[in-house]
Amino acid sequence: MANVTLTHIAKAYGNGPTLIRDVTIDVRDQEFVVLVGPSGCGKSTLLRMIAGLEDITSGDLLLDGKRINDLPPKDRDIAMVFQNYALYPHMTVFENMAFGLKLRNMAKADIRARVTQAARILEIDNLLDRKPKDMSGGQRQRVAIGRAIVREPKVFLFDEPLSNLDAKLRGQTRIELQKLHRQLRATMIYVTHDQVEAMTLGDRIVVLRGGDVMQSDTPLTLYNRPANRFVAGFIGTPPMNFLPGHVRQIDGSLCFMPSGFEMHMPITDVVQQTALTPYIGKAVTLGIRAEYLTTAPVNEQAVPLPVRIEAMENMGNEALAYVTTEESRFIARVSPTDALALAIGQSAMLFLDTVHAHFFDDATELVIR
Amino acid sequence: MKYFLLTLAALTFVYPFIWMLSASLSAESGLGDLALLPEQFTWNNYVTVFTKIPLGRAFLNSAFVAIVTTGLVLVTGAMVGYALARYEFVGRDWIFYAIIFTMTLPFQITLIPNYITMVRLGWIDTYLALIVPFSLSSLAVLLFRQAFQSLPQALIDAARIDGAGELRIIFQILVPNVLPTVLTIMILTFMGLWNEALWPLIVIRDESTMTMPQLVTLFSVGGRAEGQLGVKIAAAVLLAVPVVVLYLFFQKHFIRSMASSGLKD
Repeated sequence: MANVTLTHIAKAYGNGPTLIRDVTIDVRDQEFVVLVGPSGCGKSTLLRMIAGLEDITSGDLLLDGKRINDLPPKDRDIAMVFQNYALYPHMTVFENMAFGLKLRNMAKADIRARVTQAARILEIDNLLDRKPKDMSGGQRQRVAIGRAIVREPKVFLFDEPLSNLDAKLRGQTRIELQKLHRQLRATMIYVTHDQVEAMTLGDRIVVLRGGDVMQSDTPLTLYNRPANRFVAGFIGTPPMNFLPGHVRQIDGSLCFMPSGFEMHMPITDVVQQTALTPYIGKAVTLGIRAEYLTTAPVNEQAVPLPVRIEAMENMGNEALAYVTTEESRFIARVSPTDALALAIGQSAMLFLDTVHAHFFDDATELVIR
Repeated sequence: MKYFLLTLAALTFVYPFIWMLSASLSAESGLGDLALLPEQFTWNNYVTVFTKIPLGRAFLNSAFVAIVTTGLVLVTGAMVGYALARYEFVGRDWIFYAIIFTMTLPFQITLIPNYITMVRLGWIDTYLALIVPFSLSSLAVLLFRQAFQSLPQALIDAARIDGAGELRIIFQILVPNVLPTVLTIMILTFMGLWNEALWPLIVIRDESTMTMPQLVTLFSVGGRAEGQLGVKIAAAVLLAVPVVVLYLFFQKHFIRSMASSGLKD
């Protein structure tokens, strides 16, 4: 069992500005939680506080209900994998993995057994006599993970472990980390700035910005029901398109008036109507995912949007059309065959599926639901 | 042409040493003509040196003092350097500047106060007087601090999570990764200590505790060589041999450790 609970955690350096204001996260046993956010959002600091490498300014850090704020790292039963691997350069792979066990006075035979088993899981058993400098980045990363596994800790911490690998290897290692998580049934906390990693690895994702938790939920919920404009723009590739405007009532029906367009979009969805009614006359932003901007209307609610095609990325299985209007730029996900019909530099008509649109309050950036 | 100049430069460095070697093996009458090969080859000068002064004992004294002190310099230098490189505490930079400042003071200035301290501690004529004042070196602190600063913080973090204490982090994780620095400090400290003649002359009067350079100096200028140049030169050669051997041995390691420490961040 290993629950990690952060309650009202804050961090400030000396008398400097507060880096992390008030973070409360509950990581359940065997859960894979990803902390994600742009650089400077405090995610790495948060992880280092859980590891015991940084002091906690205020708040409580609990491991299985026990407060561990002041416990030194070695007594926390936590292992960590670092971005630059942080292998001991003068030790062989075996020695690197055995170091922590030796310091815990484990018997030699047990150490050997654990290291060989971990090496087998990670398929590095043929590298045990090598030094880190004689290995590739991917191999070093495995050793770094191995060093964490042999300790059999309650909690694994990962600090951007894949960011030094090339794209192909990153993809492979993602899959292997998933497998590893299932195999070890351990609690894992993973930090990344890459939302694709977050979406593919996390049971739950905590999105951070400027030291605050923006939203904490499953990947699909974050994608489909973002709590605010930041999460909507951060999660998903390509990012959500935003269209500023305001809500108005025309002839008794609710409409969204996008700025820069001579048009209005009727809001027909009942749930949206109820939510948007208090915003009549106020500025709101419409958010729409790339897949709901289509070349042909998908339903009666789809609104035509005149655009100019700026660029096209055709990946073969799908294509991304980069389009501009008077005031905004959008990205639409279209089928590769439809993409052939769209000429760069020409005007075209895209259809916006308002049923799948999100609306955000311009004042608070929170979603209107 | 390029090689000619280099050769010429090398020869000007090597020539006095070769002459010294050859002179020490020549009879006294053949010393005048600066020849590169011994004239009237003889071991007599060396035999005289060994019969006149307890050079063996002095060699052991020197070796003991130099080895122990070098060891202490490495240990203290690494510890102070680590604190200065990786700890945040009030006055850290001022302490560092103070340590650097001591490097600018010539040894002669602190000679008298140091001597008085030794007398008060009752350390005159003991090894302590030769070891303790040299066991913390500002150069070692400086070099270790710079070397530790260049290592990634994650290395220390990883060791801490693995359960290593601060001393283990210094000596088992960091020091093995700055071997070129360790070797540089070792060679410089050892050579400096080995060649030190002034300080022992002041704090040691008992012949059984004297170091080699001290004994050789006293022998050469103190009249016991009876004005024989060859004997003095033979004593000087014996003094130089250990350092030269040490240098030749470590030069190989020095270059190798420089080449293989490819730490990647």
